[in-house]
Formats: sequence, C-alpha cells, structure tokens
Amino acid sequence: MENRKMIIFGIIISIIFVIVGCIWLSVSVETLDKIAEKFEATEISIWNPPLPDYALPGFEENVMLNISVGILFTLITFLVSFGVGKALGRKK
Amino acid sequence: MHIPDGFLDLKICSVTYVLTAVFWFFAFRKAKKVLTDKQIPLMAVLTAMFFAAQMMNYPIIGGTTAHLLGGPILAITLGPYGGLISMTIILLIQALFFGDGGITTFGANVWNMGVIGVFVPYIIWALFPKNKKGMILGAFIGAFIGDVLAAISAGLELGLSAKFLYGVSIAVPAMALHHSIMGVGEGIVTSIIIVILLKSRPDLLDLPKIAPNWLSK
Repeated sequence: MENRKMIIFGIIISIIFVIVGCIWLSVSVETLDKIAEKFEATEISIWNPPLPDYALPGFEENVMLNISVGILFTLITFLVSFGVGKALGRKK
Repeated sequence: MHIPDGFLDLKICSVTYVLTAVFWFFAFRKAKKVLTDKQIPLMAVLTAMFFAAQMMNYPIIGGTTAHLLGGPILAITLGPYGGLISMTIILLIQALFFGDGGITTFGANVWNMGVIGVFVPYIIWALFPKNKKGMILGAFIGAFIGDVLAAISAGLELGLSAKFLYGVSIAVPAMALHHSIMGVGEGIVTSIIIVILLKSRPDLLDLPKIAPNWLSK
C-alpha cells in the first residue's frame, strides 16, 4: 500500500516535470554545445534516434505531442527500471 | 552535460568506457546480492522521476541552460551502485531514443553523471552526522560538489580530446563555472527531497544501500 502510494506520487511528480519541461523549460542550449562551437568541434551522428531532441520529426512545435512523448518515455523508464530491478533483485 | 558523438576522440572514449565498465561490473554484482523487493519500486520511481527532471532546462549564464542530474538523491536513497544503475538506464534511453548524448561517448557520460555524479555526493553525505541537520547539509554539499566535479570531468575529457583546438585550461573552467550554478540548484532540490523523505518516509533512507563494502554501514 505504501509502495503503491509512493509510485503514484512519483509518477504524478514526473508528469508535472515533463509538462513544465515541455512548456516553460524546453529550450536547451547546453554549455557543452557552446564550448564545442568555440572549439570548432562538430557532432558526428553515428546513430539516428527516432525522436531527436525529444520530439517527433515534423511535429517539433506540437507541445501536446511532445508532452505525450515525454510521459510515455517516463513510464517506459519506470518499467525498464522496475524490470532491471526485478531481474537483479532477490526475494527476501 | 551529455557529450554527443564526435566530441571525444577514440582514446578518451575507450578509457571512459573501460573505467565505467569496471563500475558496472561491481554495481550489478552487488545489486544481485543486496537489492530487495522494497528497493525496486523506489529505484523505478526515482529513475523515472529524474528522467523527467532532466527534460527541464533552466537558463543559467551566457545564454546557456542546464538541468538537474539526480545522481545525489539516487545515491543517497539507493546507494552509489544503485544510483549508477539508475543513471545508466536514464542515459541509455536518452541516447538511444532522443540522441541526447552519444553512443561512442556513452561511457564518458555515464562516468561523469553516473559514477562521479553519484559517488561523490554519496561519500560526502556519508561523512555527515545522521541527524536531521547533518543529512540535509550533507545532501546539499554533496550534490553541489558532485555536480561541479562531474562537470570538471566532462571538461577534462573535452580538453584532453584531440577533437578540440584548445585544452583543459579553457574547457574545465567553463564547464565548472556554468555547472556550479546548477550545482546549487541540485543541492537545494536534493535537500528538499531529503526533508520530504524524513517527514513522510524516513524508512526509505534506512534501506540497505547498494554500495561497495568500504562505503556500506
């Protein structure tokens, strides 16, 4: 019961983070990129991610879709972590 | 702080992969021994929470942004090896699906954010007395220093890489200065979470830590 409450609370907080991240804090200009620009280092893509920069290609400006992607992958992260934990953990 | 492909040369990528792989080996081995059913939901919730938290980019200085890492709270609640496993999952999903951080630089990113950004805060936190004040202060200082050292480590990798025209003397201060601002934020957030846990679920702070023997209680 305590665990269920914690999971629900944690997922709600995570969804709030995603919404805030997609609406108000979505602009990412990493220090690293600025430095790299100055140093004339260029990114070499060896892997084409399906959702570059956390957005569906062609729908980058669609905030609702970005939020959906964020929430979906937050839940996927939860499930992957839970699965890894179950695989590693042992019953006491 | 996510280093993309192409920023680091083969030598730096290889060294950081090897160093990180050593920590992965011990982390997974220890987790198999000590991870309990009580810790698994906590690990899953915190991993998801900090995956989401990393989507929030806060403006800092010079028109740049930074985001929380989450390593300190993962380390304090799960132990540094547990934090490393969580951070590895976060960084792997970010690299594979979103291109946030590279594949060749994955070892370096995990080294910075999942090893340094997790072990340093935990070691510092462990040095403080385990009363309320000590835990909160230890969490803040540990998170701040952990973030700054993770940034310095990234700066060192960039500075030492043959891909860059300039060296360590430029890369390290730039990374350290920018991320020290985020370090304060990380410290505040980590302290707040500790306060919440102490009030609502102090048992979660007393769970056995997935940590090396020399860092275990």
